[in-house]
Amino acid sequence: MNSMPWHKQAAALWKKDIRAEMRTRVATGSMGVFALSALLLIALSMLSVKGVEYRDALGRLKPAWDDAGKMALLWTLLCFAAFTGLAHPFVHEEESGTSLALRLYMSAEAVYAGKLLFNLTTLAAMMLVITPAYMLLTGMNTGRLILFFPIMIGGCFGLGSVATVVAALAAKAKSSGALFGAIGLPILVVFLILLMQAAHLCYAGNATPISIVKDVGGLVSFGVMIVALSAMLFHFIWDD
Amino acid sequence: MKLHLHNLGHRYGARVLFRGIEHTAAEGSVTIVTGPNGAGKSTLLRIAADLLLPWEGSALLYQTSEAVTGAQRKMTTGYVSPEMALYSEFTGAENLAFYARLRGLQPDNAFLRSALEKVGLKGRGRDRYADYSSGMKQRLKIAVAQLGEPMLLLLDEPGTNLDRSGAEILQEALQEVRNRKGIALLATNEPDEELWGDEKICVNAV
Repeated sequence: MNSMPWHKQAAALWKKDIRAEMRTRVATGSMGVFALSALLLIALSMLSVKGVEYRDALGRLKPAWDDAGKMALLWTLLCFAAFTGLAHPFVHEEESGTSLALRLYMSAEAVYAGKLLFNLTTLAAMMLVITPAYMLLTGMNTGRLILFFPIMIGGCFGLGSVATVVAALAAKAKSSGALFGAIGLPILVVFLILLMQAAHLCYAGNATPISIVKDVGGLVSFGVMIVALSAMLFHFIWDD
Repeated sequence: MKLHLHNLGHRYGARVLFRGIEHTAAEGSVTIVTGPNGAGKSTLLRIAADLLLPWEGSALLYQTSEAVTGAQRKMTTGYVSPEMALYSEFTGAENLAFYARLRGLQPDNAFLRSALEKVGLKGRGRDRYADYSSGMKQRLKIAVAQLGEPMLLLLDEPGTNLDRSGAEILQEALQEVRNRKGIALLATNEPDEELWGDEKICVNAV
């Protein structure tokens, strides 16, 4: 029997996970409930400070929540929602005992690629629903569209890649729920700093081409680096 | 083809399970692995399946003069274990189709019907795995392990929950391995099943 190419195995695993999710709705359900309740709370809080202004250190009048602040809050919401649901694919395989057959029949690289694809798909679907709803309810503007979309896509890629490798680490530990947050935080902090730097460019009037390349490039490079490192080291996590 | 276990030993932490196992399983043979509970029969099979690195020694599978490793070893091995579960949210046929795709097979309806019929699950392919009885689940695991006619078939207490016809299915599976000049390892403590083998490894706790 010839060995099966890893990308075909990854595609089969992705299809299996999508089909399982369509039936059980565990990941999308937990992410959706968290995101929608957080969205509602944020929208209500912002409504209470609508039109309120404050003076900054230089004495200039500024709105209580500007677009950059709203963008930061959106990503905080998305990060927590992602970490609520994206651990499920790995944790479920470990807890139900199905991971043993995956170890037997698939290479570690194929498992990682399949799970990463599933997490990116789920995250992108959630962002497609939550982001427009958030913008509608909080009145957040996109700023420069030419930067907004690459930053959202780069952010989705980075967040999905971080969540996937952290989920794999947590699934191999026994108390996976608590560990997911604890292990993820150090990586997530770096990701959020890069993301906020890049997101600020959408609304900054003085963004230069160099700063755009540096900050947006930094965000995308972070995601690529996490994926590359995870793919290389994943078998140390996955194999016994 | 041969499976060569050389000076094989394993430990979990400070507890040594077994040491110094020497055995060569020739092609077309069925080896029975016996020993008391906790002696390490399942661990030995996991090592043979390349799912676990041994603490000492080696378990190498040779197809020619060179050892079969990596992805090729995975494609050559079929495995049934009590620790292994299939997807409860899928039907029996969907489970089979998923694992068949991982093995590079094209699981059309005729293929799935034939695979299910072979383990006595004809007409039950559309039932959810979660709704199967424990014996039916075991039969489906045997069907998954036989996908692609693996040259190395590892059966860890496969008779658990099986009725008489289930036991016959197991015997047929072992006969098929013999016919295609493969190798089977069967871990069991059932006196009837011990008679199905050609050779025996006794695993005794150190």
